[in-house]
Amino acid sequence: MARTGWDRGRGLSRRDLLAGGLALGGGLALGASARSARAQAAGAPRHGGTLVAAAEIDPISLDPHTNSNFSAMQAFDHLYESLTMYDEKTNVVPALAQSWEITNNGKTYTFKLRPNVKFHNGQTMTAEDVKYSIERVLDPKTASPWKSWLDAIKEIKVLDPLTVQMNLDAPYPLLGSFAGMRAAGIIPKGLAERENLKIKGIGTGPFKLVEYVPQDRVVYARNPDYWDKPLPYLDGMVFKVLHEENARLAALRAGQIQYAFLSAQGAAQLEGAPGIGVQKSPFAWVVLHYINVLKGPLADARVRRAMRMAVDTNEVIQKAAFGAAVPSGPVPTGYGDWYLDPKGLPYVKADVEGARKLLADAGHASGFKLEIKCSPQYPEFVATTLVIQESLKKLSIDVTVTQMEWGAFVAENAKSNRSCGREGSDVYASANTFRPDPDGYLYPYFHSKGDLNKGGCDRPYPRVDPLLVEARQSANHAERRRLYQEAQRILVEESPNWWWYAKFNIEAVTGKVRGYSQSFTGRRLFLKKTYLA
Amino acid sequence: MRYLARRALWTVVALLGVSVLIFLLVRLLPGNIVDILAGTEGQLSREQRAAVLREFGLDRSVPVQYLLWMRGMLRGDLGWSFRSGQPVAELLASRLPITIELAVLTVLAVTLIGIPLGVLASVSRSIRVKTLVQIVGLLGLSLPSFWIAVLLIIAASHLFGWLPALIFVSPWSDPWVNLQQMFLPVLSLALGLSVVVVRMTRSSMLEVLGQDFIKVARAKGLSARAVLLRHALRNALIPIVTVLGLQMGYLLGGVVITEQIFGLPGLGWTLLNGVYQRDYPVVQATVMLFAVTFVLINLAVDLLYTYLDPRIRYE
Repeated sequence: MARTGWDRGRGLSRRDLLAGGLALGGGLALGASARSARAQAAGAPRHGGTLVAAAEIDPISLDPHTNSNFSAMQAFDHLYESLTMYDEKTNVVPALAQSWEITNNGKTYTFKLRPNVKFHNGQTMTAEDVKYSIERVLDPKTASPWKSWLDAIKEIKVLDPLTVQMNLDAPYPLLGSFAGMRAAGIIPKGLAERENLKIKGIGTGPFKLVEYVPQDRVVYARNPDYWDKPLPYLDGMVFKVLHEENARLAALRAGQIQYAFLSAQGAAQLEGAPGIGVQKSPFAWVVLHYINVLKGPLADARVRRAMRMAVDTNEVIQKAAFGAAVPSGPVPTGYGDWYLDPKGLPYVKADVEGARKLLADAGHASGFKLEIKCSPQYPEFVATTLVIQESLKKLSIDVTVTQMEWGAFVAENAKSNRSCGREGSDVYASANTFRPDPDGYLYPYFHSKGDLNKGGCDRPYPRVDPLLVEARQSANHAERRRLYQEAQRILVEESPNWWWYAKFNIEAVTGKVRGYSQSFTGRRLFLKKTYLA
Repeated sequence: MRYLARRALWTVVALLGVSVLIFLLVRLLPGNIVDILAGTEGQLSREQRAAVLREFGLDRSVPVQYLLWMRGMLRGDLGWSFRSGQPVAELLASRLPITIELAVLTVLAVTLIGIPLGVLASVSRSIRVKTLVQIVGLLGLSLPSFWIAVLLIIAASHLFGWLPALIFVSPWSDPWVNLQQMFLPVLSLALGLSVVVVRMTRSSMLEVLGQDFIKVARAKGLSARAVLLRHALRNALIPIVTVLGLQMGYLLGGVVITEQIFGLPGLGWTLLNGVYQRDYPVVQATVMLFAVTFVLINLAVDLLYTYLDPRIRYE
C-alpha cells in the first residue's frame, strides 16, 4: 500500500468539500456520495475472512451515550449508527435517516428514517427507538457529556413509525451534523434498562458484538442484515488490546495482526518491512496549550502572542511529532476547507526579536515565572511543552514544567475550569479531537456564552462573538467559511490557546488488507468497506 | 497451635490495616471516575456530576463508604466495577488463574535455573566461573524485568520472526499454545530473580560447606555428591526458601508491568487499569487479594522451615 503524505491530504479537493459542505449547511440530504467513493476503493471486494487488529487502548465503555472517551468510540463505532454519518471526505451523509427537512424558520427538523433497518437482535428500527435514544442523551440522569450538543432539542415527536420530528427552541443549523456523531447512536427502545451497555451492545451497525473482555479484546461478527448491502465484507474482526507499541510492531511483523495504529517513531521502525503498508494523513488531533487568560501576565494578549512568537512551530513538530504533522490554527488543518492555510499561518516561524519588543511593550521586558502542566500519558504533550520551556528562555520567561498522571491532570484541569481559573495552573498541554462542525472548535470555547468557556467567565473576545453567532445562523457555506476564517485569524492574534499542529494519523495495514481508507475523524469508520485479498 | 492462633490474629490486623490504607490511598489520588469520564474536552454540569457520584455511591462520606465496603466483603460481595458494571468478584475470578500460572511458572523457572547454578558456583574452583557468576549477577540485578521483556519481544520478532498466539489461551484448552504464550513473560521475570537465588545459594552453600559436619561427612567417606546434595544443600536451603517466598510476593508486583507489556489479561493488568480509570472497587479488591496472598505465602514459608529444619519449633 502506497505511502500517502500530507500532499495527498491537501489534495482533498476543495470542490468536493464545497459540495459536501453546502449539503451540510443547507441541511438538505444528498445521498449516494458514499457509494461512489466505495466503487473506486479497489478492484473487486470479496466477502469473508476475519481481520485481527490491535487496539492501542482498552475501550473505557461500550455505551455510546454516557462517555465522550475516544477509546470507547473506537470500539462502539462498529456497533452503532446515528441518523447521519461521515463519508471519506468528512461530509455529512444520510445513515439511519434517509433525508431530513428543516421548516419553521430552522426550528423544526423532520427526519425520514430508512425503512427495514434491523437491529442486531432482529428487531426493526422505528421512530420510537430514535426518540428513546436521543431522550436518553438529554436526560440529566444519564450524565451524558454529549448532552450540550443536543440541548437545543426541546421536543421529539414520533409522527409515524418512520418519521421523527424534533422541535428546537432556536434555529440550530448544526443539528444535522451533530446527529452524525455516535453521541446520538440509536439503540432499541428500553435497551439501556435491560442490558449493561458498558460491556454489551445492540445497534444497527455493520458489525455485531460477539464478545467484549474488558482490557483484553473485542470480538465482532458481520451483521448479515446490514442495510448498506453488500457491506461489510469481513466475516468478523478481533481487536486485541496492545498498549505497548513494541508489542504492536512485533505482532505486525510476525503477521499476527493486520492492522495497528502507530506513532511516527513506530512507523519509522517498519521502514522496509515486507508486506506492511503505512497510511498517513492529517487528522483531527490538534496539539495545543490551554492558557488561563484570567490572571497574571497571561491576561495580556500581547504577552501570549509574544510567547507564541518565540517558539518555532516546526521545531515543535520535529521534536514532539517526529515531523509527522502540519502547522494548524484552531480548526485542524485538513478539516474540509474551514481551516487556515498552514502556509499563511502567522507566527509559525520564530521571531524572537519581535517577541522581545512585544513583551517590552506589555511591560514584561525582564520576563516572569510561569507553570505549564502536562501528562506523560501523552509523551507528545510533554515534548511540546519542553520545546516551549526552552524557547521562552530567550524572553527571560522561566517556565516550570510539571508532569502529572493523566487522571490527576484531568481532574486539575476540570477544577481550574470550574473555579473560573482561580485555582490550578497557568497553562495546560492537551489536544482537541474531532468536532462535527468547525463551530465545535470555536463557539464553545471562545464565544462569551460558550459551554467550555470556563462557565462563561473567560473575558469575551468582542470581535469574535458576532462572527461566531452569524456563522451559526448562516446556511451558506462560503459565507460560513469566511466568518470562521476571520474568527480564527483574530483568535491566533489573541492567543487564548497556542495551537501548534495537526498530527498525522498513522495506521499500518498488512498487504492482504484492501479497501481501508483513513478518516479525518481518526475513527476507523471504513473498516466496513475493508476486505481481505 | 498457640503460635498459629497468634499468627492468624496478626494476619487479620495486617489485612485490616491494608484495607484502610488502600481505601484511603485510591481516594487520595487526584481525580475520580467523573473526571475520567469527562476528559479534558467535555464538561459535565454540576447536576450531571452529582448524578454520576450518586450512581457509584461516592456521594456518601468516606467512613460510610468504607463500612459499606467492609460489610460487602464480609458477605463475599466485592462490589461492582465502576467501569464495566461487572461484579468485581467475577472479574477477579476470571483474571486470577492467569496471574497464578505466571507466578508459579516463574518460581519454578527460578528454582530450576537458580539453585543448580548456585551450587555449581559454590563448588567450582575456576576463577572464570566465579567472575562469570559475578558479572551475570550484577547484570541480572541491574536490569529491570520490564526492559528485559521489551528486549525479548523485539528479539523474538526481529531475529526469529516468532511470537506466540495473540489471544490468551488457558492451559486447560490448549496447554502447548498456553506454554508458548507464557514462555517470554516467565523468562523476562525469571532472569532477574534467578540471579538473586544464584547468589543466595552460593553464599549459603559456602557457609555450610565450611562447617565441621561437612568435614565429618567427608571423613566418613560419603561420596562428594551425597555430601553436597544431602548434607550441604539441605542445610543451605532455609535462606533460599525464604528468598523464593519473598520473591513470590515481589512477583505479584512484577506481574503488573509484565502483564501489561505482554498483553496478558491477569490481575496485574486489571489493577493498573483500575488505577488509571479510578475504578475504586476493582483497585481495592485486587490489592486486598494481593495482600492476602502475600500474607499466606509468608505463613507458608514459616511453616516450611519446620520441615526443612526439624530443630525449628514454633511455640
